Amino acid sequence: MTAIRVCGLTKRYGSFEAVRGIDFEVPPGEVFGLLGPNGAGKTTTVEILEGLRSRTSGKVAVLGFDPAVQVRALKERIGVCLQATNLPDKITVREALEFFASFYPRPASPRELLERLQLWERRNTFYSKLSGGQKQRLALALALINNPQLLFLDEPTAGLDPQVRLEIHNLILELKEARRTILLTTHYIEEAERLCDRVAIIDHGKIIAMGTPAEMQARAVDHSRIEIRLEQPLSADCAPVASEAQIQWNQERTVLFATSLQPTRTLIELVKWLEQNGASIADIHLQRPTLEDVFLELTGKRLRD
Amino acid sequence: MRSYWAHIRIHLKLTFRDRLVVFFNYVFPLLFFFIFAQVFGSSRSAAFTQVVSMVLIIGVLGNGFFGAGIRAIQDRELNILRRYKVAPITPTPLLLASIITGWVNYLPMALLVLGLSHFGFGMAFPANWISLLAFLSLGIICFRAIGLMIASVVNSAQEGQILIQLFYFPMLLLSGATLPFELLPAWAQRVAQFLPASYLCLGLQGILLRGENLAENWQAVLALAITTLAATFLSVKLFRWEKEERIRGTAKLWLLAGLLPFLLLGAWEAHTQNSAAKVRALTHEMRRNQIYLIRDARIFTGDEVVDSGAVLLRGGKIIQLWRGPAPPAKTLHAELIEGAGKTLLPAFIDAHVMFQGEPSSRDLAAYLYCGVAAVGVSGDLPQTPQGELGAELVQAVSSSEGVYVSALTAAEMEDASAAGGNAIVEDSLVQQVAPAGVLEEWKRRVAGSAGAGGSHLQRASQKLIQAWKAGRALAAASCAGFPPLVHGPGIHRELQLWVKAGIPAHRALAAATAGNAKLLGLGDRMGRVAPGYDATLVLVNGNPLTAIDATENIAAVFFKGERVIRSELLERR
Repeated sequence: MTAIRVCGLTKRYGSFEAVRGIDFEVPPGEVFGLLGPNGAGKTTTVEILEGLRSRTSGKVAVLGFDPAVQVRALKERIGVCLQATNLPDKITVREALEFFASFYPRPASPRELLERLQLWERRNTFYSKLSGGQKQRLALALALINNPQLLFLDEPTAGLDPQVRLEIHNLILELKEARRTILLTTHYIEEAERLCDRVAIIDHGKIIAMGTPAEMQARAVDHSRIEIRLEQPLSADCAPVASEAQIQWNQERTVLFATSLQPTRTLIELVKWLEQNGASIADIHLQRPTLEDVFLELTGKRLRD
Repeated sequence: MRSYWAHIRIHLKLTFRDRLVVFFNYVFPLLFFFIFAQVFGSSRSAAFTQVVSMVLIIGVLGNGFFGAGIRAIQDRELNILRRYKVAPITPTPLLLASIITGWVNYLPMALLVLGLSHFGFGMAFPANWISLLAFLSLGIICFRAIGLMIASVVNSAQEGQILIQLFYFPMLLLSGATLPFELLPAWAQRVAQFLPASYLCLGLQGILLRGENLAENWQAVLALAITTLAATFLSVKLFRWEKEERIRGTAKLWLLAGLLPFLLLGAWEAHTQNSAAKVRALTHEMRRNQIYLIRDARIFTGDEVVDSGAVLLRGGKIIQLWRGPAPPAKTLHAELIEGAGKTLLPAFIDAHVMFQGEPSSRDLAAYLYCGVAAVGVSGDLPQTPQGELGAELVQAVSSSEGVYVSALTAAEMEDASAAGGNAIVEDSLVQQVAPAGVLEEWKRRVAGSAGAGGSHLQRASQKLIQAWKAGRALAAASCAGFPPLVHGPGIHRELQLWVKAGIPAHRALAAATAGNAKLLGLGDRMGRVAPGYDATLVLVNGNPLTAIDATENIAAVFFKGERVIRSELLERR
């Protein structure tokens, strides 16, 4: 059974159309990323799927339930990690988990969860005394308390420092290993590249591209960039041979730039040619197109503005 | 059910961990209690119930408006409720947990205050303590629900603060909990009739002071119960998990719907004035709890004279009579009334007066003003107006073989109107008591009549002397109510005429006090200055035993332990 099926989803607030016809499906066990700038309609879409908001039109099935109708059945089976939520200051980690466990018919063991998320040591600490990373791990633990079949992670690493972000990434990768279905929204490109099986890029309430991160990169019109630094300048009269590549030199002819649709082949050809011409290579740098490039190309704007 | 229990448990834990809650719920009311108990409690016991009800009601208001209302708004503003939104729960357990937590939190404080008042400050233990706790519980639950309802209709913390203060301050100041109700201007009293806290205060004081139960406060109980249900229902229906979900401004009108029972009750009270009457009754009850020591006074006990003695009044009764010097007032926790040069007597009783139709409260107040605490009424006994201070009404006696009822005043009036005299108008108490219109009318009538003086008084005086000599029981009556004899001062004139007729002063005074009390069936509690009797007394300047018209020179009137403020008696109506 498909975990999520969305067909022609729209959401209108007065005259403003936040979501303008979105379609996608998420099969079980997949980590699906919704990527887009702020205000693109990501959160609205996700909240409709979670049963928190009504939709204007379209068909939606989450775990086979209609989130506008079978809200309770749905909420019992999904785990949600919302952005910008808080817990009371003076609730301890363990109490929070036990409290939320009481909402569900068959909750997971709070102790196991805390141990898995490395919060057992902090179980008697008040929420207000936790660090940002610990708070986010607790939020994940709360999202997992009902053994959810489907996990919604809305900007799970927003506002965290890089080390903590890495920590959370590893946790999500663990969940991915365990074949959990996850819908993740983010505006961090690396996050999507690292964690998602597939991503959809949303802008102005519409999906403008969808596929695996690799497919998306391949779709980039921009070529991969190759940069080769030499120890001595190369004599001006020899021209490099490389198929389907554009080549440029810097003025001193110590650095060679190439863009190519088949960067591996181009690189091998260039290296061979340089050696034949007696150049000694100091450094090689190959840069593949990123989702950021794809995004920039598709939307004309950067993600994090 | 599991979820309800979990909500209550966590809510309680969080509440008790919150230092602000502990401060406002326990430290603050107790500080208040001790300060006010020191000010009022130890030296003036009367105000002590006021202190207790004030602390209890401040607790209810704070707990409801801040503990439930502000807290609920904060939980939403801080995005705490947002986290619950994605769980399969409804607002109902959340809100019910808040209400129950408030109650669990409040009750120990209430018990502590009541316990301290009893054991530390000697307040009588409330007779209807079950009613008291039930009423307080209903109050706290209702105000929690009102707090939550306010939280449900506001869109921001700021809006919430403003709205809650708008509810809190009027209820704090006008409900009678802090400022005594009678000190409020008329408009404020009218506003107070629409405030739930007024009924809470009224019910609480009624239970504490008058030993009332829940059933006697059924209007307040019903209004509190309906408001609780309505406010809870509205707070569930209008509940929002997120600050981003805004509610339209007109939703605030739902507050009026939630408070409708009190608006209706207020309108009804404005019509019937029931609660206003009860407030006055409570005020009297409170004044009655004052302890007084009247010392160094000549005391006429009803049959004998103590040349210099003292009495202690408490709880509406005469506690002790000293035939000599009394201990210092301080050691008795009493307010001292110096009686040197004055005479203390049992309040007078008029054996026979007449009302045309229902007695007005002004007439009954006029009696009290003149030191008359009970009157005998001929015919069917009319209803005493509720809550007003005034003379008691009992069945009049009529002359029979054993009893001779003398009303020389009436005889004198007949003569005077025949003679065109104005003996009664010159009487000082009559001038004080009679409404101006009546006085003018009387003067006109007397001036218009002609002819020689009659002999009614002379004949009546002779009959009185005969009855006295025959050893019959004598009842002193003024026959007030027969126009133009005004209600109130008649008994004083009657006494003067008795003495003029030849009855010894102490015999006349005994007839107007102990004698009349016995004949009217009040003898077991009125008419005597003796321990166990009602503290219903008159203190006059001078010595009526040697100069009978001294009875008109009244220094103080006590009615069932309450020192009557005479200047207010006639003014109010």
